Amino acid sequence: MIRSVLLSTMVLQMKQSFARPMFRFSLIANPILNTILLYEMFRHSQQDNFVSYVVLGAGLMAIWSCICFSSAGDIQRERYSGTLALIYAAPAGFPAIITGKILGNTLLSLSSLLISLATAVAVYHTPVVVIRPGYFFLAPVALVGSFMVISTVLAALLTLSRRTSLYMNCIEIPFILLCGFAFPIQVLPAWLHPISLALSPTWAVDLLRMAVNGVEDASLFFQKLLILMLLSVGYALFSGWLYRYMDRQVRMTANLEVC
Amino acid sequence: MMRRFFSQAFLYHKGRTAAFHPLEFLCFDAGYPLVTLVFYCLLASYTFHTTDLTHWVVGNAFLMCTNTCVFQLGGIFSSERYFGRLRSIVAAPCGKLPLVLASGVFPTLFASLSVLGGFVVGGVVFGVDFSNLHLGLAVVTILCAMTAATGFGLFLAAMGLLTDSMHLVLNVVSYLLMIFTGAEFSVVQLPLAGQMVAQLLPLTRSIQAMNLLFDCQYSALVPLLAGELLIAVVYALLAWAIFRTAETMCRKHGTFDLF
Repeated sequence: MIRSVLLSTMVLQMKQSFARPMFRFSLIANPILNTILLYEMFRHSQQDNFVSYVVLGAGLMAIWSCICFSSAGDIQRERYSGTLALIYAAPAGFPAIITGKILGNTLLSLSSLLISLATAVAVYHTPVVVIRPGYFFLAPVALVGSFMVISTVLAALLTLSRRTSLYMNCIEIPFILLCGFAFPIQVLPAWLHPISLALSPTWAVDLLRMAVNGVEDASLFFQKLLILMLLSVGYALFSGWLYRYMDRQVRMTANLEVC
Repeated sequence: MMRRFFSQAFLYHKGRTAAFHPLEFLCFDAGYPLVTLVFYCLLASYTFHTTDLTHWVVGNAFLMCTNTCVFQLGGIFSSERYFGRLRSIVAAPCGKLPLVLASGVFPTLFASLSVLGGFVVGGVVFGVDFSNLHLGLAVVTILCAMTAATGFGLFLAAMGLLTDSMHLVLNVVSYLLMIFTGAEFSVVQLPLAGQMVAQLLPLTRSIQAMNLLFDCQYSALVPLLAGELLIAVVYALLAWAIFRTAETMCRKHGTFDLF
């Protein structure tokens, strides 16, 4: 039952998301433009591994943009369409439907990494070398997981607000900044490091970058993976608690469609 | 005539800001552009290995007008259509050029203020030295830049009469401004075609002029600012021409939605 709900919601969400011009911007135009922008900025950086920052940075920024403008905003869209109460009260369960939506968005948004890579290869003739494929396939799985859990937290938080579109615009750049999508978090002031390290995408990005650049210390890779998994479990528990809190609030105040 | 022009300009401004909320202003109009400025300045400090971020503070402070001049102003005619006022505007027996220009008066002023705010905050955070800056010329440069950006915004707004994908168009344009205006990296890095595109966009000359002002070079200032004002006039006239064409088509075919 849950599996079919997840699958059908995921497929429907992919179709609905792709129909929206803003999502198409985030998915297709954003990685292309960001790759060009980051490449030109990194071109004279004299770093050996700058392509990983360009391709991964642009791809990750696009994925996060897709999540911000879709996963986080879907609640508001359902509210606007008058279907929020229906999916909330459906026997399939609201968390399962939301998870299916987030899964659909996240999987679809992964294609922006490929678009970013294709742009770098086509425009700048960047060589593509993956030193250790095993790690390289493990890291995106961790990435999807980390983005999914943080999306469920955001979706739950934004369900109780009417200013979803404001918040989803406001969280885009701060997360990109704090999670080190385009540059290492060491560039940030020290007082921001604890916040960065508490965000699961920071670790996922780190793993992905390690996998692309070659894992020299396997134990360090798995240590970071373990931290990411623990953080993800923490996020999942927090989002579970948020959904229960939200459910109580909605049933007490009966204002799901207008809150 | 002039009284009607400014009264119309004020009404446009009032319509856009009637639902003002301090939180929205702090998050979206002030916070988001400033965080974006900080992000790109930190990225530049990492990629260009420099602590002197004057060039990027200048560029990104100018890009702070994007919110007002691209996203807000670019959507005005789409909003008119959404609120059902477009057919009244088309049918009104008045000149359409003053009407188009009136909608740009207050955005120019507010965009100038946001750029000034960007300079102050960017200057404080990244330690920009303003001691050698000629303040009068700096204000003139900012006003010229914002006039050009407003003209460009009006052009985009008129494009909104021809397409229903304005979110896509406006977001792409905001990235094009980052790539082509020299805000994030030198225009010389672009291929020849890119450099030609840069000359057709607003802000390119103003950013160059402001950088010259910081270097106390005043000789090339006048041609650059004159060029910027010419850009403003050309885009405003283009906006008017598109509006007139759309109006004629609308009267001829009875298609008030003007897609």
